[in-house]
Amino acid sequence: MRGVLRGLVSTTSHMTVVDLEAGLEHLSRGTARHVDTLLLVAEPYFKSLEATQRSFVLAKDLGIDRIQMVANKIRSSRDEETVRQFAGRHSVTVAGVVPFDPAVVEADERGAAVMDQQPDATSVIAVRQLADQLLSAS
Amino acid sequence: MKIAIGGKGGSGKTTIAGTLARVLAERGQQVVALDDDSNPNLAVTLGLPHGQAASLPAIPRDWLEEKPDGEGGTRLELKVPAEDFIARFGQPVAQNLTLLVMGQPDHGGSG
Repeated sequence: MRGVLRGLVSTTSHMTVVDLEAGLEHLSRGTARHVDTLLLVAEPYFKSLEATQRSFVLAKDLGIDRIQMVANKIRSSRDEETVRQFAGRHSVTVAGVVPFDPAVVEADERGAAVMDQQPDATSVIAVRQLADQLLSAS
Repeated sequence: MKIAIGGKGGSGKTTIAGTLARVLAERGQQVVALDDDSNPNLAVTLGLPHGQAASLPAIPRDWLEEKPDGEGGTRLELKVPAEDFIARFGQPVAQNLTLLVMGQPDHGGSG
Protein backbone atom coordinates (compact mmCIF):
# COMPACT_ATOMS: atom_id res chain seq x y z
CA MET A 1 0.00 0.00 0.00
CA ARG A 2 2.87 2.32 0.67
CA GLY A 3 3.94 1.71 -2.90
CA VAL A 4 0.58 3.05 -4.08
CA LEU A 5 0.96 6.16 -1.97
CA ARG A 6 4.49 6.73 -3.10
CA GLY A 7 3.33 6.74 -6.69
CA LEU A 8 0.96 9.52 -5.73
CA VAL A 9 3.91 11.81 -5.12
CA SER A 10 4.74 11.60 -8.83
CA THR A 11 1.22 12.04 -10.14
CA THR A 12 -0.31 14.74 -7.95
CA SER A 13 -0.26 18.34 -9.06
CA HIS A 14 0.17 19.38 -5.43
CA MET A 15 3.48 20.42 -4.05
CA THR A 16 4.57 17.60 -1.78
CA VAL A 17 6.64 17.62 1.39
CA VAL A 18 7.54 14.08 2.44
CA ASP A 19 8.94 13.32 5.87
CA LEU A 20 11.06 10.27 5.08
CA GLU A 21 11.77 7.29 7.26
CA ALA A 22 14.42 8.20 9.84
CA GLY A 23 17.86 7.01 8.89
CA LEU A 24 19.12 7.36 5.37
CA GLU A 25 19.67 3.74 4.42
CA HIS A 26 16.02 3.50 3.28
CA LEU A 27 16.45 6.01 0.50
CA SER A 28 16.83 3.64 -2.41
CA ARG A 29 13.66 1.61 -1.89
CA GLY A 30 11.54 4.39 -0.52
CA THR A 31 9.67 7.45 -1.54
CA ALA A 32 12.78 9.45 -2.32
CA ARG A 33 12.96 8.18 -5.88
CA HIS A 34 9.67 9.93 -6.64
CA VAL A 35 10.86 13.41 -5.68
CA ASP A 36 12.81 16.12 -7.47
CA THR A 37 14.27 17.75 -4.37
CA LEU A 38 15.90 15.96 -1.47
CA LEU A 39 16.79 17.95 1.61
CA LEU A 40 19.15 16.18 3.97
CA VAL A 41 18.98 17.54 7.47
CA ALA A 42 22.32 17.41 9.25
CA GLU A 43 23.60 18.53 12.60
CA PRO A 44 27.08 20.00 12.89
CA TYR A 45 28.87 17.00 14.30
CA PHE A 46 30.86 14.18 12.81
CA LYS A 47 28.39 11.29 12.99
CA SER A 48 25.58 13.31 11.49
CA LEU A 49 27.74 14.57 8.63
CA GLU A 50 29.15 11.11 8.02
CA ALA A 51 25.63 9.71 7.68
CA THR A 52 24.75 12.52 5.30
CA GLN A 53 27.76 11.72 3.17
CA ARG A 54 26.59 8.14 2.70
CA SER A 55 23.17 9.31 1.66
CA PHE A 56 24.60 11.67 -0.97
CA VAL A 57 25.88 8.61 -2.79
CA LEU A 58 22.55 6.77 -2.57
CA ALA A 59 20.57 9.84 -3.60
CA LYS A 60 22.77 10.53 -6.61
CA ASP A 61 22.27 6.93 -7.75
CA LEU A 62 18.53 7.50 -7.65
CA GLY A 63 18.88 10.40 -10.05
CA ILE A 64 17.23 13.01 -7.84
CA ASP A 65 17.63 16.39 -9.56
CA ARG A 66 18.34 18.52 -6.57
CA ILE A 67 20.11 17.22 -3.46
CA GLN A 68 20.75 19.86 -0.83
CA MET A 69 21.57 20.08 2.83
CA VAL A 70 19.81 21.83 5.65
CA ALA A 71 22.01 22.56 8.64
CA ASN A 72 20.03 22.18 11.84
CA LYS A 73 20.56 22.98 15.53
CA ILE A 74 23.30 25.45 14.69
CA ARG A 75 24.60 27.16 17.84
CA SER A 76 27.51 29.19 16.53
CA SER A 77 29.17 30.51 13.40
CA ARG A 78 31.69 27.73 13.89
CA ASP A 79 28.87 25.15 13.69
CA GLU A 80 27.66 26.75 10.48
CA GLU A 81 31.16 26.79 9.04
CA THR A 82 31.58 23.07 9.86
CA VAL A 83 28.50 22.22 7.79
CA ARG A 84 29.38 24.63 4.98
CA GLN A 85 32.89 23.22 4.65
CA PHE A 86 31.52 19.69 4.56
CA ALA A 87 28.98 20.69 1.90
CA GLY A 88 31.69 22.42 -0.09
CA ARG A 89 33.88 19.31 -0.06
CA HIS A 90 30.97 17.33 -1.48
CA SER A 91 29.78 20.02 -3.91
CA VAL A 92 26.38 20.20 -2.25
CA THR A 93 24.43 23.40 -1.64
CA VAL A 94 23.32 24.36 1.85
CA ALA A 95 19.71 25.38 1.24
CA GLY A 96 19.05 26.49 4.78
CA VAL A 97 20.71 27.09 8.13
CA VAL A 98 18.38 26.58 11.08
CA PRO A 99 19.63 27.69 14.48
CA PHE A 100 19.31 25.68 17.65
CA ASP A 101 16.07 27.01 19.07
CA PRO A 102 14.65 26.47 22.57
CA ALA A 103 11.21 27.22 21.09
CA VAL A 104 11.41 23.90 19.20
CA VAL A 105 12.18 22.04 22.42
CA GLU A 106 9.26 23.74 24.17
CA ALA A 107 6.86 23.01 21.32
CA ASP A 108 7.96 19.36 21.32
CA GLU A 109 7.27 19.12 25.03
CA ARG A 110 3.79 20.52 24.52
CA GLY A 111 3.09 18.40 21.47
CA ALA A 112 2.46 21.50 19.40
CA ALA A 113 3.81 23.11 16.24
CA VAL A 114 6.55 25.63 16.90
CA MET A 115 4.89 27.88 14.31
CA ASP A 116 1.74 28.05 16.39
CA GLN A 117 3.57 28.54 19.67
CA GLN A 118 6.11 31.12 18.53
CA PRO A 119 5.59 32.26 14.95
CA ASP A 120 8.65 34.51 15.13
CA ALA A 121 10.99 31.91 16.62
CA THR A 122 14.44 31.96 15.03
CA SER A 123 14.00 28.44 13.63
CA VAL A 124 10.68 29.39 12.00
CA ILE A 125 12.27 32.44 10.39
CA ALA A 126 15.05 30.21 9.07
CA VAL A 127 12.52 27.78 7.56
CA ARG A 128 10.71 30.72 5.91
CA GLN A 129 14.01 31.64 4.27
CA LEU A 130 14.46 28.02 3.23
CA ALA A 131 10.99 28.03 1.64
CA ASP A 132 11.73 31.23 -0.27
CA GLN A 133 15.01 29.81 -1.46
CA LEU A 134 13.30 26.65 -2.73
CA LEU A 135 10.48 28.57 -4.43
CA SER A 136 12.81 31.01 -6.13
CA ALA A 137 15.02 28.22 -7.45
CA SER A 138 12.23 25.99 -8.74
CA MET B 1 8.00 20.74 -6.67
CA LYS B 2 8.25 17.39 -4.87
CA ILE B 3 10.36 17.69 -1.77
CA ALA B 4 11.53 14.91 0.53
CA ILE B 5 13.23 15.54 3.83
CA GLY B 6 15.64 12.98 5.18
CA GLY B 7 18.00 12.71 8.10
CA LYS B 8 19.05 10.66 11.04
CA GLY B 9 16.61 10.12 13.86
CA GLY B 10 16.87 13.10 16.17
CA SER B 11 18.21 15.42 13.47
CA GLY B 12 15.06 17.51 13.61
CA LYS B 13 13.92 16.53 10.12
CA THR B 14 10.28 16.18 11.14
CA THR B 15 10.14 19.65 12.71
CA ILE B 16 11.66 21.12 9.57
CA ALA B 17 9.31 19.12 7.31
CA GLY B 18 6.23 20.22 9.26
CA THR B 19 7.23 23.85 9.45
CA LEU B 20 8.27 23.96 5.79
CA ALA B 21 4.93 22.47 4.71
CA ARG B 22 3.07 25.09 6.75
CA VAL B 23 5.16 27.94 5.34
CA LEU B 24 4.76 26.79 1.74
CA ALA B 25 0.99 26.56 2.24
CA GLU B 26 1.00 30.09 3.66
CA ARG B 27 2.83 31.20 0.54
CA GLY B 28 -0.19 30.02 -1.45
CA GLN B 29 1.12 26.66 -2.64
CA GLN B 30 -1.28 23.72 -2.61
CA VAL B 31 0.66 21.35 -0.37
CA VAL B 32 0.34 17.70 0.55
CA ALA B 33 2.43 16.70 3.55
CA LEU B 34 3.21 13.00 3.48
CA ASP B 35 4.39 11.16 6.57
CA ASP B 36 6.55 8.26 5.38
CA ASP B 37 8.17 7.64 8.74
CA SER B 38 7.17 4.36 10.40
CA ASN B 39 7.05 6.31 13.66
CA PRO B 40 4.76 9.03 12.34
CA ASN B 41 5.06 12.40 14.06
CA LEU B 42 4.60 14.86 11.25
CA ALA B 43 1.05 15.71 12.33
CA VAL B 44 2.24 17.26 15.58
CA THR B 45 4.83 19.46 13.90
CA LEU B 46 2.15 20.58 11.44
CA GLY B 47 0.03 21.70 14.38
CA LEU B 48 -2.61 18.99 14.59
CA PRO B 49 -3.57 18.35 18.20
CA HIS B 50 -2.08 15.18 19.65
CA GLY B 51 -3.98 12.05 18.68
CA GLN B 52 -5.86 13.69 15.82
CA ALA B 53 -3.71 12.30 13.08
CA ALA B 54 -5.42 9.31 11.60
CA SER B 55 -3.59 6.61 9.72
CA LEU B 56 -5.10 5.97 6.34
CA PRO B 57 -8.12 3.70 6.37
CA ALA B 58 -8.20 0.76 4.01
CA ILE B 59 -8.31 1.99 0.45
CA PRO B 60 -11.41 0.75 -1.40
CA ARG B 61 -10.51 -2.11 -3.68
CA ASP B 62 -12.21 -0.51 -6.67
CA TRP B 63 -9.87 2.47 -6.36
CA LEU B 64 -6.94 0.21 -7.16
CA GLU B 65 -5.87 -1.78 -10.15
CA GLU B 66 -3.13 -4.28 -10.84
CA LYS B 67 -0.55 -3.23 -13.38
CA PRO B 68 2.45 -5.12 -14.72
CA ASP B 69 5.54 -4.17 -12.75
CA GLY B 70 7.87 -4.78 -15.68
CA GLU B 71 9.51 -7.70 -13.90
CA GLY B 72 6.93 -10.35 -14.68
CA GLY B 73 4.74 -9.57 -11.70
CA THR B 74 2.08 -7.04 -10.91
CA ARG B 75 1.80 -4.10 -8.60
CA LEU B 76 -1.14 -2.15 -7.30
CA GLU B 77 -1.70 1.32 -8.63
CA LEU B 78 -4.31 3.97 -8.00
CA LYS B 79 -7.08 3.86 -10.57
CA VAL B 80 -8.43 7.25 -9.57
CA PRO B 81 -6.64 10.57 -10.05
CA ALA B 82 -4.26 11.49 -7.24
CA GLU B 83 -6.31 14.61 -6.46
CA ASP B 84 -9.44 12.50 -5.86
CA PHE B 85 -7.50 10.31 -3.49
CA ILE B 86 -6.12 13.28 -1.60
CA ALA B 87 -9.56 14.88 -1.33
CA ARG B 88 -11.05 11.68 0.05
CA PHE B 89 -8.32 10.42 2.35
CA GLY B 90 -6.23 13.44 3.17
CA GLN B 91 -6.63 15.18 6.49
CA PRO B 92 -7.04 18.97 6.20
CA VAL B 93 -4.49 20.72 8.41
CA ALA B 94 -4.60 24.35 7.38
CA GLN B 95 -5.56 26.36 4.34
CA ASN B 96 -3.88 24.78 1.27
CA LEU B 97 -2.43 21.99 3.39
CA THR B 98 -3.43 18.32 3.60
CA LEU B 99 -1.78 15.50 5.51
CA LEU B 100 -1.45 11.88 4.44
CA VAL B 101 0.03 9.37 6.87
CA MET B 102 1.39 6.26 5.20
CA GLY B 103 1.24 4.14 8.33
CA GLN B 104 3.08 0.92 8.96
CA PRO B 105 5.67 -0.27 6.50
CA ASP B 106 4.72 -3.09 4.15
CA HIS B 107 5.98 -6.55 5.05
CA GLY B 108 8.68 -8.38 3.17
CA GLY B 109 10.48 -5.32 1.90
CA SER B 110 7.97 -4.76 -0.84
CA GLY B 111 7.67 -1.09 0.08
